[in-house]
Amino acid sequence: MKAACHRSLWIARITFLEAIRQRFFAFLFILGAALVLASGAVRVFDFGHSELKFLADFGFGGLFLFGSILGVVMTAQLFFAEIDNRTALTLLAKPLSRAEFLAGKFLGIWAVLGVFVLVLAALLAAMLGWRAAELAQLAAERRLAPPECDLAGLALYAALQWLRLGVVVAMVLAVAAAARTFLFAVVVGALAVLAGQLQWLSQELLLKPAEPGLGHAALWLLTHLLPNLQQFNLGDALVLAPHQVTAGTLPWVFLSGVAYVVAFLVLATFLFRRREI
Amino acid sequence: MTAAPAIEVRHLTKDFRIGLKGVKLRAVDDLSLSIPRGQVYGLLGPNGCGKSTTLKVVLGLVPATAGEVSILGLPSATAEARARTGFLPEAPYFHKFLSGRELVRYCAHLSGVPSDRVEAAVEEAVALVDLREAAGRLVGTYSKGMLQRIGLAQAIVHDPELVILDEPTAGVDPVGAAAIGRIIEAMRARGKTVVLCSHLLGQVEQVCDRVAIMDKGRLVLEGAVEEVLERRDRHVLTVDALTPAALAAAEAALVAHGARLGAVTHPRRSLEELFRELVTGSRDA
Repeated sequence: MKAACHRSLWIARITFLEAIRQRFFAFLFILGAALVLASGAVRVFDFGHSELKFLADFGFGGLFLFGSILGVVMTAQLFFAEIDNRTALTLLAKPLSRAEFLAGKFLGIWAVLGVFVLVLAALLAAMLGWRAAELAQLAAERRLAPPECDLAGLALYAALQWLRLGVVVAMVLAVAAAARTFLFAVVVGALAVLAGQLQWLSQELLLKPAEPGLGHAALWLLTHLLPNLQQFNLGDALVLAPHQVTAGTLPWVFLSGVAYVVAFLVLATFLFRRREI
Repeated sequence: MTAAPAIEVRHLTKDFRIGLKGVKLRAVDDLSLSIPRGQVYGLLGPNGCGKSTTLKVVLGLVPATAGEVSILGLPSATAEARARTGFLPEAPYFHKFLSGRELVRYCAHLSGVPSDRVEAAVEEAVALVDLREAAGRLVGTYSKGMLQRIGLAQAIVHDPELVILDEPTAGVDPVGAAAIGRIIEAMRARGKTVVLCSHLLGQVEQVCDRVAIMDKGRLVLEGAVEEVLERRDRHVLTVDALTPAALAAAEAALVAHGARLGAVTHPRRSLEELFRELVTGSRDA
Protein backbone atom coordinates (compact mmCIF):
# COMPACT_ATOMS: atom_id res chain seq x y z
CA MET A 1 0.00 0.00 0.00
CA LYS A 2 2.82 2.36 0.93
CA ALA A 3 4.64 1.53 -2.30
CA ALA A 4 1.45 2.08 -4.31
CA CYS A 5 0.97 5.52 -2.71
CA HIS A 6 4.62 6.34 -3.40
CA ARG A 7 4.23 5.49 -7.09
CA SER A 8 0.93 7.42 -7.39
CA LEU A 9 2.53 10.47 -5.77
CA TRP A 10 5.36 10.37 -8.31
CA ILE A 11 2.84 10.27 -11.17
CA ALA A 12 1.02 13.16 -9.47
CA ARG A 13 4.24 15.14 -9.14
CA ILE A 14 5.14 14.82 -12.83
CA THR A 15 1.52 15.51 -13.86
CA PHE A 16 1.55 18.67 -11.73
CA LEU A 17 4.82 19.84 -13.34
CA GLU A 18 3.41 19.15 -16.80
CA ALA A 19 0.13 20.93 -16.06
CA ILE A 20 1.62 24.15 -14.71
CA ARG A 21 3.77 24.43 -17.84
CA GLN A 22 0.70 24.50 -20.07
CA ARG A 23 -0.13 27.80 -21.74
CA PHE A 24 -3.82 26.95 -21.47
CA PHE A 25 -3.52 26.81 -17.67
CA ALA A 26 -1.61 30.10 -17.55
CA PHE A 27 -4.19 31.74 -19.84
CA LEU A 28 -7.24 30.72 -17.76
CA PHE A 29 -5.38 31.39 -14.52
CA ILE A 30 -4.60 34.97 -15.58
CA LEU A 31 -8.11 35.45 -16.99
CA GLY A 32 -9.70 34.26 -13.74
CA ALA A 33 -7.44 36.45 -11.61
CA ALA A 34 -8.11 39.44 -13.89
CA LEU A 35 -11.87 38.87 -13.57
CA VAL A 36 -11.70 38.91 -9.77
CA LEU A 37 -9.50 42.00 -9.70
CA ALA A 38 -11.66 43.77 -12.31
CA SER A 39 -14.74 43.30 -10.14
CA GLY A 40 -13.54 46.18 -7.96
CA ALA A 41 -13.49 48.51 -10.96
CA VAL A 42 -16.94 47.58 -12.29
CA ARG A 43 -18.76 47.34 -8.97
CA VAL A 44 -20.80 50.45 -9.86
CA PHE A 45 -22.75 48.22 -12.25
CA ASP A 46 -24.22 46.22 -9.39
CA PHE A 47 -27.74 46.10 -10.87
CA GLY A 48 -29.30 46.94 -7.53
CA HIS A 49 -27.63 44.15 -5.58
CA SER A 50 -25.49 44.80 -2.55
CA GLU A 51 -21.98 45.77 -3.54
CA LEU A 52 -20.35 42.91 -1.63
CA LYS A 53 -22.67 40.40 -3.27
CA PHE A 54 -21.72 41.80 -6.66
CA LEU A 55 -18.01 41.43 -5.87
CA ALA A 56 -18.52 37.92 -4.45
CA ASP A 57 -20.59 36.82 -7.47
CA PHE A 58 -17.79 37.93 -9.79
CA GLY A 59 -15.27 35.86 -7.86
CA PHE A 60 -17.56 32.84 -7.49
CA GLY A 61 -18.31 33.01 -11.22
CA GLY A 62 -14.61 33.11 -12.11
CA LEU A 63 -13.85 30.17 -9.85
CA PHE A 64 -16.78 28.19 -11.18
CA LEU A 65 -16.41 28.89 -14.89
CA PHE A 66 -12.65 28.85 -15.36
CA GLY A 67 -12.21 26.08 -12.79
CA SER A 68 -14.71 23.91 -14.66
CA ILE A 69 -13.10 24.59 -18.05
CA LEU A 70 -9.67 23.85 -16.60
CA GLY A 71 -10.94 20.70 -14.91
CA VAL A 72 -12.48 19.29 -18.09
CA VAL A 73 -9.88 20.31 -20.69
CA MET A 74 -6.75 19.80 -18.60
CA THR A 75 -7.84 16.35 -17.41
CA ALA A 76 -8.59 15.13 -20.93
CA GLN A 77 -5.46 16.78 -22.31
CA LEU A 78 -3.07 15.36 -19.70
CA PHE A 79 -4.62 11.89 -19.96
CA PHE A 80 -4.43 11.75 -23.75
CA ALA A 81 -0.92 13.25 -23.77
CA GLU A 82 0.25 10.11 -21.96
CA ILE A 83 -1.61 7.83 -24.37
CA ASP A 84 -0.88 9.66 -27.65
CA ASN A 85 2.77 10.40 -26.86
CA ARG A 86 3.11 6.80 -25.69
CA THR A 87 4.69 7.77 -22.37
CA ALA A 88 1.99 5.54 -20.83
CA LEU A 89 3.64 2.61 -22.62
CA THR A 90 6.89 3.19 -20.71
CA LEU A 91 5.13 3.86 -17.39
CA LEU A 92 2.64 0.99 -17.45
CA ALA A 93 5.39 -1.48 -18.37
CA LYS A 94 6.71 -0.80 -14.86
CA PRO A 95 5.23 -2.34 -11.70
CA LEU A 96 2.62 0.41 -11.70
CA SER A 97 -1.03 -0.61 -11.73
CA ARG A 98 -3.55 1.24 -13.84
CA ALA A 99 -5.39 2.30 -10.68
CA GLU A 100 -2.17 3.87 -9.34
CA PHE A 101 -1.63 5.61 -12.66
CA LEU A 102 -5.13 7.09 -12.64
CA ALA A 103 -4.89 8.03 -8.96
CA GLY A 104 -1.62 9.82 -9.70
CA LYS A 105 -3.15 11.66 -12.66
CA PHE A 106 -6.11 12.67 -10.50
CA LEU A 107 -3.95 13.94 -7.64
CA GLY A 108 -1.64 15.88 -9.97
CA ILE A 109 -4.49 17.65 -11.78
CA TRP A 110 -6.40 18.23 -8.55
CA ALA A 111 -3.30 19.80 -6.99
CA VAL A 112 -3.03 22.23 -9.92
CA LEU A 113 -6.71 23.12 -9.51
CA GLY A 114 -6.00 23.57 -5.80
CA VAL A 115 -3.42 26.23 -6.65
CA PHE A 116 -5.93 27.86 -9.01
CA VAL A 117 -8.68 27.91 -6.36
CA LEU A 118 -6.30 29.08 -3.63
CA VAL A 119 -4.99 32.04 -5.63
CA LEU A 120 -8.41 33.15 -6.91
CA ALA A 121 -9.96 32.76 -3.44
CA ALA A 122 -7.09 34.77 -1.90
CA LEU A 123 -7.62 37.55 -4.45
CA LEU A 124 -11.36 37.49 -3.82
CA ALA A 125 -10.76 37.58 -0.06
CA ALA A 126 -8.52 40.61 -0.51
CA MET A 127 -11.13 42.39 -2.64
CA LEU A 128 -14.01 41.54 -0.28
CA GLY A 129 -12.00 42.33 2.87
CA TRP A 130 -10.90 45.69 1.51
CA ARG A 131 -14.39 46.76 0.42
CA ALA A 132 -16.12 45.30 3.51
CA ALA A 133 -13.81 47.36 5.75
CA GLU A 134 -14.64 50.52 3.78
CA LEU A 135 -18.37 49.81 3.88
CA ALA A 136 -18.20 49.00 7.61
CA GLN A 137 -16.57 52.37 8.23
CA LEU A 138 -19.27 54.16 6.21
CA ALA A 139 -21.98 52.25 8.07
CA ALA A 140 -20.44 53.17 11.43
CA GLU A 141 -20.44 56.84 10.45
CA ARG A 142 -24.15 56.56 9.62
CA ARG A 143 -24.82 54.44 12.74
CA LEU A 144 -25.99 51.52 10.57
CA ALA A 145 -25.26 47.80 10.91
CA PRO A 146 -22.10 46.81 8.98
CA PRO A 147 -22.59 44.49 5.94
CA GLU A 148 -22.02 40.80 6.59
CA CYS A 149 -18.87 39.30 5.05
CA ASP A 150 -17.32 36.16 6.54
CA LEU A 151 -13.82 35.47 5.15
CA ALA A 152 -13.62 32.17 7.04
CA GLY A 153 -16.78 31.22 5.14
CA LEU A 154 -14.95 32.15 1.95
CA ALA A 155 -12.17 29.68 2.89
CA LEU A 156 -14.85 26.99 3.36
CA TYR A 157 -16.40 27.91 0.03
CA ALA A 158 -12.98 27.62 -1.66
CA ALA A 159 -12.51 24.16 -0.11
CA LEU A 160 -15.93 23.11 -1.40
CA GLN A 161 -15.11 24.41 -4.89
CA TRP A 162 -11.86 22.46 -4.83
CA LEU A 163 -13.83 19.35 -3.91
CA ARG A 164 -16.34 20.08 -6.70
CA LEU A 165 -13.45 20.31 -9.15
CA GLY A 166 -12.19 17.00 -7.77
CA VAL A 167 -15.54 15.44 -8.73
CA VAL A 168 -15.23 17.05 -12.19
CA VAL A 169 -11.69 15.70 -12.69
CA ALA A 170 -12.66 12.18 -11.56
CA MET A 171 -15.72 12.28 -13.82
CA VAL A 172 -13.70 13.39 -16.88
CA LEU A 173 -11.04 10.75 -16.11
CA ALA A 174 -13.77 8.10 -16.25
CA VAL A 175 -14.93 9.48 -19.61
CA ALA A 176 -11.34 9.69 -20.94
CA ALA A 177 -10.57 6.14 -19.82
CA ALA A 178 -13.25 4.88 -22.21
CA ALA A 179 -12.88 7.54 -24.94
CA ARG A 180 -10.80 7.07 -28.07
CA THR A 181 -10.09 10.73 -28.75
CA PHE A 182 -9.30 13.87 -26.79
CA LEU A 183 -12.15 15.79 -28.42
CA PHE A 184 -14.71 13.14 -27.49
CA ALA A 185 -13.49 13.19 -23.88
CA VAL A 186 -13.74 16.99 -23.72
CA VAL A 187 -17.22 17.17 -25.26
CA VAL A 188 -18.71 14.30 -23.24
CA GLY A 189 -16.88 15.45 -20.10
CA ALA A 190 -18.25 18.99 -20.49
CA LEU A 191 -21.78 17.64 -21.07
CA ALA A 192 -21.46 15.47 -17.95
CA VAL A 193 -20.42 18.49 -15.90
CA LEU A 194 -23.32 20.51 -17.29
CA ALA A 195 -25.72 17.66 -16.49
CA GLY A 196 -24.28 17.46 -12.98
CA GLN A 197 -24.83 21.17 -12.57
CA LEU A 198 -28.48 20.75 -13.58
CA GLN A 199 -29.01 17.49 -11.67
CA TRP A 200 -31.10 19.27 -9.03
CA LEU A 201 -33.75 19.85 -11.70
CA SER A 202 -34.21 16.11 -12.15
CA GLN A 203 -34.37 15.74 -8.36
CA GLU A 204 -37.22 18.25 -8.24
CA LEU A 205 -39.03 16.58 -11.13
CA LEU A 206 -38.72 13.23 -9.42
CA LEU A 207 -40.46 14.60 -6.34
CA LYS A 208 -43.52 15.55 -8.38
CA PRO A 209 -46.23 12.87 -8.58
CA ALA A 210 -46.01 11.06 -11.94
CA GLU A 211 -47.04 7.81 -13.64
CA PRO A 212 -44.29 5.16 -13.49
CA GLY A 213 -42.84 4.73 -16.98
CA LEU A 214 -39.73 4.94 -19.09
CA GLY A 215 -39.38 8.69 -18.55
CA HIS A 216 -39.69 8.30 -14.81
CA ALA A 217 -37.13 5.48 -14.78
CA ALA A 218 -34.69 7.56 -16.85
CA LEU A 219 -35.16 10.45 -14.46
CA TRP A 220 -34.53 8.19 -11.47
CA LEU A 221 -31.36 6.83 -13.10
CA LEU A 222 -30.12 10.33 -13.95
CA THR A 223 -30.73 11.54 -10.41
CA HIS A 224 -28.92 8.63 -8.80
CA LEU A 225 -25.98 8.37 -11.20
CA LEU A 226 -25.08 11.99 -11.75
CA PRO A 227 -23.48 14.00 -8.98
CA ASN A 228 -25.32 17.10 -7.85
CA LEU A 229 -22.64 19.69 -8.55
CA GLN A 230 -24.97 22.52 -7.61
CA GLN A 231 -24.83 21.49 -3.94
CA PHE A 232 -21.25 22.84 -3.72
CA ASN A 233 -22.34 26.38 -4.63
CA LEU A 234 -22.89 27.63 -1.09
CA GLY A 235 -20.94 30.84 -1.66
CA ASP A 236 -23.70 33.34 -0.83
CA ALA A 237 -24.76 31.44 2.27
CA LEU A 238 -21.23 30.89 3.58
CA VAL A 239 -19.76 34.33 2.87
CA LEU A 240 -22.62 36.84 2.92
CA ALA A 241 -25.14 35.14 5.21
CA PRO A 242 -23.28 32.52 7.31
CA HIS A 243 -26.24 31.85 9.64
CA GLN A 244 -28.23 30.41 6.68
CA VAL A 245 -26.13 27.23 6.47
CA THR A 246 -27.60 24.45 8.58
CA ALA A 247 -25.33 22.30 10.74
CA GLY A 248 -25.62 19.12 8.71
CA THR A 249 -25.20 20.69 5.27
CA LEU A 250 -21.41 20.99 5.11
CA PRO A 251 -20.54 17.45 6.32
CA TRP A 252 -23.13 16.02 3.90
CA VAL A 253 -21.79 17.99 0.92
CA PHE A 254 -18.23 17.09 1.89
CA LEU A 255 -18.95 13.37 2.28
CA SER A 256 -20.99 13.11 -0.90
CA GLY A 257 -18.19 14.92 -2.79
CA VAL A 258 -15.59 12.44 -1.53
CA ALA A 259 -17.91 9.52 -2.33
CA TYR A 260 -18.38 10.76 -5.91
CA VAL A 261 -14.62 11.18 -6.38
CA VAL A 262 -14.00 7.61 -5.18
CA ALA A 263 -16.87 6.20 -7.26
CA PHE A 264 -15.71 7.90 -10.48
CA LEU A 265 -12.09 6.84 -9.92
CA VAL A 266 -13.22 3.23 -9.42
CA LEU A 267 -15.27 3.50 -12.63
CA ALA A 268 -12.28 5.03 -14.47
CA THR A 269 -10.05 2.16 -13.31
CA PHE A 270 -12.62 -0.39 -14.44
CA LEU A 271 -12.89 1.21 -17.89
CA PHE A 272 -9.11 1.64 -18.21
CA ARG A 273 -8.33 -1.88 -16.95
CA ARG A 274 -8.29 -3.64 -20.32
CA ARG A 275 -7.59 -0.67 -22.56
CA GLU A 276 -4.92 -1.43 -25.13
CA ILE A 277 -1.98 0.94 -24.73
CA MET B 1 15.05 -27.97 -10.42
CA THR B 2 15.73 -25.82 -13.51
CA ALA B 3 14.86 -22.14 -13.45
CA ALA B 4 11.84 -21.05 -15.49
CA PRO B 5 12.69 -19.44 -18.84
CA ALA B 6 12.95 -15.65 -18.99
CA ILE B 7 9.84 -15.56 -21.20
CA GLU B 8 7.53 -18.41 -22.04
CA VAL B 9 4.83 -17.85 -24.65
CA ARG B 10 2.34 -20.66 -25.26
CA HIS B 11 -0.10 -20.63 -28.18
CA LEU B 12 -0.45 -16.85 -28.10
CA THR B 13 -3.04 -15.35 -30.41
CA LYS B 14 -3.95 -11.68 -30.59
CA ASP B 15 -6.78 -10.28 -32.67
CA PHE B 16 -7.59 -6.61 -33.11
CA ARG B 17 -11.00 -5.35 -34.11
CA ILE B 18 -10.76 -2.53 -36.62
CA GLY B 19 -13.25 -0.15 -38.17
CA LEU B 20 -16.89 0.36 -37.36
CA LYS B 21 -17.79 -3.17 -38.44
CA GLY B 22 -15.17 -4.60 -36.08
CA VAL B 23 -13.31 -6.54 -38.76
CA LYS B 24 -10.92 -8.97 -37.10
CA LEU B 25 -7.21 -8.52 -37.77
CA ARG B 26 -4.98 -11.30 -36.47
CA ALA B 27 -1.68 -9.74 -35.35
CA VAL B 28 -0.22 -12.82 -33.63
CA ASP B 29 -1.23 -16.32 -34.65
CA ASP B 30 -0.65 -19.27 -32.29
CA LEU B 31 2.86 -18.22 -31.30
CA SER B 32 4.90 -20.39 -28.94
CA LEU B 33 8.35 -19.32 -27.77
CA SER B 34 10.69 -20.07 -24.91
CA ILE B 35 13.42 -17.50 -24.28
CA PRO B 36 16.19 -18.87 -22.04
CA ARG B 37 17.74 -16.81 -19.27
CA GLY B 38 21.09 -15.05 -19.56
CA GLN B 39 21.04 -14.73 -23.35
CA VAL B 40 20.52 -12.01 -25.91
CA TYR B 41 17.50 -13.04 -27.95
CA GLY B 42 16.63 -11.43 -31.28
CA LEU B 43 12.99 -11.19 -32.30
CA LEU B 44 12.97 -10.36 -35.99
CA GLY B 45 10.49 -9.84 -38.75
CA PRO B 46 9.16 -7.28 -41.22
CA ASN B 47 7.02 -4.35 -40.10
CA GLY B 48 3.56 -5.48 -39.03
CA CYS B 49 4.61 -9.09 -38.41
CA GLY B 50 3.45 -8.98 -34.79
CA LYS B 51 6.75 -8.43 -32.92
CA SER B 52 5.70 -5.30 -31.03
CA THR B 53 2.24 -6.73 -30.31
CA THR B 54 3.89 -9.85 -28.87
CA LEU B 55 6.08 -7.69 -26.62
CA LYS B 56 3.07 -5.64 -25.50
CA VAL B 57 1.19 -8.80 -24.58
CA VAL B 58 4.28 -10.05 -22.72
CA LEU B 59 4.33 -6.80 -20.72
CA GLY B 60 0.61 -6.89 -19.99
CA LEU B 61 -0.04 -3.70 -21.99
CA VAL B 62 -2.39 -5.49 -24.35
CA PRO B 63 -4.56 -8.45 -23.35
CA ALA B 64 -4.11 -11.70 -25.28
CA THR B 65 -7.02 -13.13 -27.25
CA ALA B 66 -5.81 -16.64 -26.44
CA GLY B 67 -2.75 -18.31 -24.98
CA GLU B 68 -0.52 -17.81 -21.96
CA VAL B 69 2.57 -15.75 -21.30
CA SER B 70 4.90 -15.90 -18.30
CA ILE B 71 7.94 -13.86 -17.32
CA LEU B 72 10.55 -15.60 -15.15
CA GLY B 73 7.89 -18.14 -14.20
CA LEU B 74 5.32 -15.51 -13.17
CA PRO B 75 2.12 -14.58 -15.02
CA SER B 76 3.24 -11.71 -17.24
CA ALA B 77 0.46 -9.28 -16.34
CA THR B 78 1.47 -9.16 -12.64
CA ALA B 79 3.31 -6.22 -11.10
CA GLU B 80 5.85 -8.64 -9.65
CA ALA B 81 6.79 -9.85 -13.14
CA ARG B 82 7.06 -6.28 -14.41
CA ALA B 83 9.25 -5.32 -11.42
CA ARG B 84 11.83 -7.80 -12.73
CA THR B 85 11.57 -6.50 -16.31
CA GLY B 86 12.88 -3.39 -18.05
CA PHE B 87 11.34 -2.08 -21.26
CA LEU B 88 12.43 0.38 -23.91
CA PRO B 89 9.55 0.98 -26.37
CA GLU B 90 10.00 1.70 -30.05
CA ALA B 91 10.64 5.42 -30.77
CA PRO B 92 10.37 6.35 -27.11
CA TYR B 93 8.99 9.73 -26.07
CA PHE B 94 9.73 11.14 -22.66
CA HIS B 95 8.59 14.27 -20.80
CA LYS B 96 10.68 17.00 -22.39
CA PHE B 97 10.66 19.24 -19.32
CA LEU B 98 12.62 16.70 -17.27
CA SER B 99 16.39 16.38 -17.38
CA GLY B 100 17.81 12.97 -18.25
CA ARG B 101 18.71 12.39 -14.61
CA GLU B 102 15.22 13.46 -13.39
CA LEU B 103 13.60 11.10 -15.90
CA VAL B 104 15.69 8.13 -14.74
CA ARG B 105 15.02 9.06 -11.08
CA TYR B 106 11.26 9.20 -11.80
CA CYS B 107 11.39 5.75 -13.39
CA ALA B 108 13.51 4.41 -10.51
CA HIS B 109 10.79 5.44 -8.04
CA LEU B 110 8.08 3.87 -10.21
CA SER B 111 10.11 0.68 -10.58
CA GLY B 112 10.36 0.14 -6.84
CA VAL B 113 14.00 1.06 -6.20
CA PRO B 114 14.31 1.69 -2.43
CA SER B 115 14.49 5.45 -1.72
CA ASP B 116 17.96 5.24 -0.15
CA ARG B 117 19.26 3.45 -3.26
CA VAL B 118 17.69 5.68 -5.91
CA GLU B 119 20.55 8.17 -6.40
CA ALA B 120 23.19 5.43 -6.67
CA ALA B 121 20.98 3.43 -9.07
CA VAL B 122 20.39 6.52 -11.25
CA GLU B 123 24.11 7.32 -11.47
CA GLU B 124 24.93 3.70 -12.25
CA ALA B 125 22.35 3.51 -15.06
CA VAL B 126 23.37 6.86 -16.51
CA ALA B 127 27.04 5.82 -16.44
CA LEU B 128 26.30 2.48 -18.13
CA VAL B 129 24.70 4.24 -21.10
CA ASP B 130 27.52 6.80 -21.14
CA LEU B 131 25.30 9.83 -20.55
CA ARG B 132 26.77 11.09 -17.29
CA GLU B 133 27.82 14.46 -18.76
CA ALA B 134 24.51 15.11 -20.53
CA ALA B 135 22.27 13.79 -17.75
CA GLY B 136 21.66 17.31 -16.40
CA ARG B 137 20.30 18.54 -19.74
CA LEU B 138 16.58 18.60 -20.57
CA VAL B 139 15.42 15.51 -22.48
CA GLY B 140 13.88 17.87 -25.08
CA THR B 141 17.40 18.84 -26.19
CA TYR B 142 18.60 15.25 -26.74
CA SER B 143 19.50 13.75 -30.13
CA LYS B 144 17.84 10.49 -31.21
CA GLY B 145 20.83 8.46 -30.09
CA MET B 146 20.84 10.10 -26.68
CA LEU B 147 17.07 9.56 -26.36
CA GLN B 148 17.55 5.85 -27.00
CA ARG B 149 20.35 5.72 -24.44
CA ILE B 150 18.39 7.56 -21.75
CA GLY B 151 15.52 5.20 -22.62
CA LEU B 152 17.86 2.31 -21.95
CA ALA B 153 18.90 3.90 -18.64
CA GLN B 154 15.26 4.17 -17.48
CA ALA B 155 14.73 0.53 -18.49
CA ILE B 156 17.65 -0.80 -16.45
CA VAL B 157 17.71 1.57 -13.46
CA HIS B 158 16.04 -1.02 -11.19
CA ASP B 159 18.53 -3.71 -12.23
CA PRO B 160 15.95 -6.00 -13.88
CA GLU B 161 16.71 -9.61 -14.77
CA LEU B 162 15.00 -9.25 -18.15
CA VAL B 163 15.37 -6.27 -20.50
CA ILE B 164 13.11 -5.90 -23.54
CA LEU B 165 14.30 -3.50 -26.22
CA ASP B 166 11.95 -2.66 -29.10
CA GLU B 167 13.95 -1.17 -31.98
CA PRO B 168 16.61 0.46 -29.78
CA THR B 169 18.64 1.49 -32.83
CA ALA B 170 15.81 2.95 -34.94
CA GLY B 171 16.88 6.31 -36.33
CA VAL B 172 20.31 6.09 -34.70
CA ASP B 173 23.51 6.47 -36.74
CA PRO B 174 25.94 3.53 -37.00
CA VAL B 175 28.21 4.89 -34.24
CA GLY B 176 25.25 5.26 -31.88
CA ALA B 177 23.96 1.82 -32.87
CA ALA B 178 27.36 0.34 -32.09
CA ALA B 179 27.30 2.05 -28.68
CA ILE B 180 23.89 0.51 -27.99
CA GLY B 181 25.29 -2.85 -29.09
CA ARG B 182 28.08 -2.48 -26.52
CA ILE B 183 25.53 -1.69 -23.80
CA ILE B 184 23.60 -4.85 -24.71
CA GLU B 185 26.81 -6.87 -24.47
CA ALA B 186 27.55 -5.28 -21.09
CA MET B 187 24.09 -6.36 -19.89
CA ARG B 188 24.71 -9.90 -21.09
CA ALA B 189 28.03 -9.87 -19.20
CA ARG B 190 26.04 -9.01 -16.06
CA GLY B 191 23.88 -12.09 -16.59
CA LYS B 192 20.78 -10.27 -17.85
CA THR B 193 18.42 -11.65 -20.44
CA VAL B 194 17.94 -9.21 -23.30
CA VAL B 195 15.16 -9.48 -25.86
CA LEU B 196 16.00 -7.37 -28.87
CA CYS B 197 13.64 -6.38 -31.68
CA SER B 198 15.62 -4.78 -34.46
CA HIS B 199 15.83 -4.31 -38.20
CA LEU B 200 19.62 -3.96 -38.00
CA LEU B 201 20.27 -7.55 -38.92
CA GLY B 202 24.04 -7.12 -38.87
CA GLN B 203 23.91 -6.03 -35.29
CA VAL B 204 21.45 -8.76 -34.34
CA GLU B 205 23.82 -11.30 -35.82
CA GLN B 206 26.68 -9.85 -33.78
CA VAL B 207 25.04 -9.57 -30.38
CA CYS B 208 22.33 -12.23 -30.28
CA ASP B 209 22.75 -15.78 -29.05
CA ARG B 210 19.41 -16.94 -30.44
CA VAL B 211 16.90 -15.49 -32.88
CA ALA B 212 13.27 -16.00 -33.77
CA ILE B 213 11.86 -14.77 -37.06
CA MET B 214 8.18 -13.90 -37.33
CA ASP B 215 6.09 -13.29 -40.43
CA LYS B 216 2.36 -12.50 -40.61
CA GLY B 217 1.99 -13.18 -36.90
CA ARG B 218 3.56 -16.64 -37.06
CA LEU B 219 6.92 -17.98 -36.01
CA VAL B 220 8.82 -19.11 -39.09
CA LEU B 221 12.25 -19.90 -37.61
CA GLU B 222 13.83 -20.16 -34.18
CA GLY B 223 17.26 -21.25 -33.02
CA ALA B 224 20.83 -20.35 -32.05
CA VAL B 225 22.32 -17.78 -34.43
CA GLU B 226 25.26 -20.02 -35.38
CA GLU B 227 22.93 -22.92 -36.12
CA VAL B 228 20.42 -21.04 -38.22
CA LEU B 229 23.07 -19.22 -40.28
CA GLU B 230 25.48 -22.03 -40.90
CA ARG B 231 25.15 -23.77 -44.30
CA ARG B 232 26.48 -27.22 -43.54
CA ASP B 233 26.35 -28.26 -47.22
CA ARG B 234 28.88 -25.58 -48.34
CA HIS B 235 32.41 -24.49 -47.27
CA VAL B 236 34.53 -21.35 -47.51
CA LEU B 237 38.30 -21.41 -47.86
CA THR B 238 40.17 -18.15 -47.28
CA VAL B 239 43.49 -18.24 -49.09
CA ASP B 240 46.34 -15.72 -49.20
CA ALA B 241 48.52 -15.21 -52.30
CA LEU B 242 46.42 -17.38 -54.62
CA THR B 243 48.01 -17.57 -58.09
CA PRO B 244 46.04 -18.66 -61.22
CA ALA B 245 48.10 -21.87 -61.34
CA ALA B 246 47.36 -22.68 -57.70
CA LEU B 247 43.65 -21.99 -58.29
CA ALA B 248 43.58 -24.34 -61.31
CA ALA B 249 45.37 -27.07 -59.31
CA ALA B 250 42.98 -26.64 -56.37
CA GLU B 251 39.94 -26.83 -58.65
CA ALA B 252 41.31 -30.02 -60.29
CA ALA B 253 41.96 -31.56 -56.87
CA LEU B 254 38.42 -30.73 -55.74
CA VAL B 255 36.91 -32.26 -58.91
CA ALA B 256 39.04 -35.37 -58.39
CA HIS B 257 37.41 -35.77 -54.98
CA GLY B 258 33.88 -35.29 -56.28
CA ALA B 259 33.56 -31.69 -55.07
CA ARG B 260 32.85 -28.60 -57.18
CA LEU B 261 34.32 -25.12 -56.85
CA GLY B 262 31.32 -22.79 -56.67
CA ALA B 263 32.93 -19.34 -56.77
CA VAL B 264 36.21 -17.56 -56.26
CA THR B 265 35.80 -14.03 -54.86
CA HIS B 266 37.66 -11.54 -52.73
CA PRO B 267 36.38 -11.28 -49.15
CA ARG B 268 34.57 -8.01 -48.41
CA ARG B 269 34.18 -6.06 -45.25
CA SER B 270 30.78 -4.58 -44.48
CA LEU B 271 30.07 -0.88 -44.94
CA GLU B 272 29.33 -0.74 -41.21
CA GLU B 273 32.76 -2.17 -40.41
CA LEU B 274 34.42 0.33 -42.76
CA PHE B 275 32.41 3.23 -41.32
CA ARG B 276 33.21 2.30 -37.76
CA GLU B 277 36.87 1.84 -38.65
CA LEU B 278 37.03 5.33 -40.15
CA VAL B 279 35.15 7.18 -37.43
CA THR B 280 36.41 5.29 -34.39
CA GLY B 281 36.11 7.21 -31.19
CA SER B 282 33.55 9.74 -32.38
CA ARG B 283 30.20 9.76 -30.55
CA ASP B 284 26.83 11.24 -31.32
CA ALA B 285 26.13 14.10 -28.99
